Amino acid sequence: MAKVELKNLTKKYGDVVAVQNMDLTIPHNEFLVLVGPSGCGKSTTLRMIAGLEEISGGEIFIGDQKVNEKDPKDRNVSMVFQNYALYPHMTVEENLGFSLKIAKVNPDEIEAKVQDAVNILGLEDLRKRKPSQLSGGQRQRVAMGRAIVRRPDAFLFDEPLSNLDAKLRTQMRTEIKKLHQKLKTTVIYVTHDQVEAMTLADRIIIMKDGFIEQIGSPIDVFSNPVNVFVATFIGSPPMNIIECEITKSNDQIMIKLDNDILVHCPKEKIAKLADLKKVIVGIRAEDIVPVKSFSNEQKSLWAFSKAIDLAEPLGTETQLFFKLQNQEIISRMYNPRPVDVGENINFQIETNKIHFFNYETKKAI
Amino acid sequence: MKQIKKIGFWFLVLFLLILICLPGIWIFVSAFRPNPEILAKPANWIPDRWTLHQFTQMFSINGYVSVPAFKYLMNSVIISSVSTVIAITIGMMGGYAFARFNFKGKNKIFLSLMLARAVPGISLSLPLFILFAKVGIINTSFGVILVYVAMNVPFTIWLTDGFFRQIPKEMSEVARTDGCTRFQAFWNVELPLAGPGIGAAAIFAFLLSWNEYALASILTRTVHSKTLPIGMMDYLDEFTINWAGMCAIAVVMIIPALILTFIVQKHLVSGLTFGGVKG
Repeated sequence: MAKVELKNLTKKYGDVVAVQNMDLTIPHNEFLVLVGPSGCGKSTTLRMIAGLEEISGGEIFIGDQKVNEKDPKDRNVSMVFQNYALYPHMTVEENLGFSLKIAKVNPDEIEAKVQDAVNILGLEDLRKRKPSQLSGGQRQRVAMGRAIVRRPDAFLFDEPLSNLDAKLRTQMRTEIKKLHQKLKTTVIYVTHDQVEAMTLADRIIIMKDGFIEQIGSPIDVFSNPVNVFVATFIGSPPMNIIECEITKSNDQIMIKLDNDILVHCPKEKIAKLADLKKVIVGIRAEDIVPVKSFSNEQKSLWAFSKAIDLAEPLGTETQLFFKLQNQEIISRMYNPRPVDVGENINFQIETNKIHFFNYETKKAI
Repeated sequence: MKQIKKIGFWFLVLFLLILICLPGIWIFVSAFRPNPEILAKPANWIPDRWTLHQFTQMFSINGYVSVPAFKYLMNSVIISSVSTVIAITIGMMGGYAFARFNFKGKNKIFLSLMLARAVPGISLSLPLFILFAKVGIINTSFGVILVYVAMNVPFTIWLTDGFFRQIPKEMSEVARTDGCTRFQAFWNVELPLAGPGIGAAAIFAFLLSWNEYALASILTRTVHSKTLPIGMMDYLDEFTINWAGMCAIAVVMIIPALILTFIVQKHLVSGLTFGGVKG
């Protein structure tokens, strides 16, 4: 039952800055996901909250208490590590009860709490086993159980699913989500996998080079990325990015999508784009819609035809690859039919689905 | 062809085995027969007459004492075990520090410890003799223990450092978020995991002390502090050498060493296998 608050948090290793002036308030019961490429400072942030890493500047509050100087043991947070870090010389139940034993809780109460965790995670048959006798998924579950028994103020997950195979990962992801709904505790979850981030988070923080790039709900960061980095990092396949020139002809602002494709600048953007020479256009694969014939509806549309370089059928959809401005573009075709390489396909894009980014600053326009 | 190769291989193994074991077998056989038979030419491999004479004399079972072997054995046991316990305790703490903490000059300190180990012990004998004589700890178990501890600490630090490094640091981190102090994490989690390795290091240190001859031969003077390897020299008289007696005392010395070596070998072969962390 606690919120976690970071104020101006900074971590330096010598001259290298790992986390830079981070300000963040995580309300009670929020599932917060820190996501970013490796080396972006997300794990360091988590380790600072846990107390495993000394902080170079700023303050950390858990509940109402400032914990800067506190040992990990006095912070009442539980951490789940990527490699599980189960105690190999203890059985599953000893692993689960270890923290309570250290806290000198009486054996009956330990047993009750361990049983509780065993029930929640379905570990009944494994109680007497050693970690070496468990599969990856089971180990992961024990590691989570060990975090649960203490009823900590906050759970800290450090890439907990990275060591699992794809199928198990999806399954455990759902379990973590359910667990959070059941336990109603603050969760801070670090991952480099944007799918995990999208599916689990109440709020996502996208980090890069020690800075927060964007904070928002999964839908928010997906639909309104603040810069090119966030746009390409969130979503799969990544957002198509095209560097386009802006030209003026007959008093109209045109965007040069490809050598022979000129499209009108959307009305609402004219004011912002008129003075620029170049712009970065971002379009999600699902917004580049292959059509039989161009529609005449009143919507504002960009439409063009292009020859296909490659088609990848995925069952529910076929991904079409082609090039604009020499950049690889992916489109999703939701009513798959066999597509030949070199076939000319008509595409149309609703202009309100298009993202524009400043060519110099890479920030959203 | 394959068959011949296999047979040839095993003959080679057998030959090497005999070559290696021969001195040991000779010592063992000679300990149980009278001196003249040892000197017989051509060599007599299987004694005509087995006897426990040397052992009964050594341990004064029939009242006559040739060499105070029991006293030497006790000296050896005390000196080796005490120096091992001290060396492994210091080594364990040092090894843990080197494996887990970053401090200024860490690599240099580690290197100088290893270099200290590289100095041949015998070259220190004269300075040590003079020093110990002045301080007044020459010919005492304490003096020998002191030297053996100094000799073994770099070695145990080096070994335990390696064993602690094999334990993922997440082990202690997760223990600390589980409510342990740093020491509790060490005591409850890391030490049990490094246990077999530390045991092996301890046995190595013990064997080193148990077999040490060069320094002990200079620092020990009388029954008061002589260890078994030095005690062996008691069988060397001005004009005669009691080979049988020497072999007998060697057997007393070899047996514990042999047992411990077997234990170490098992630990080294099994190594440290973990299940707690995905490899």
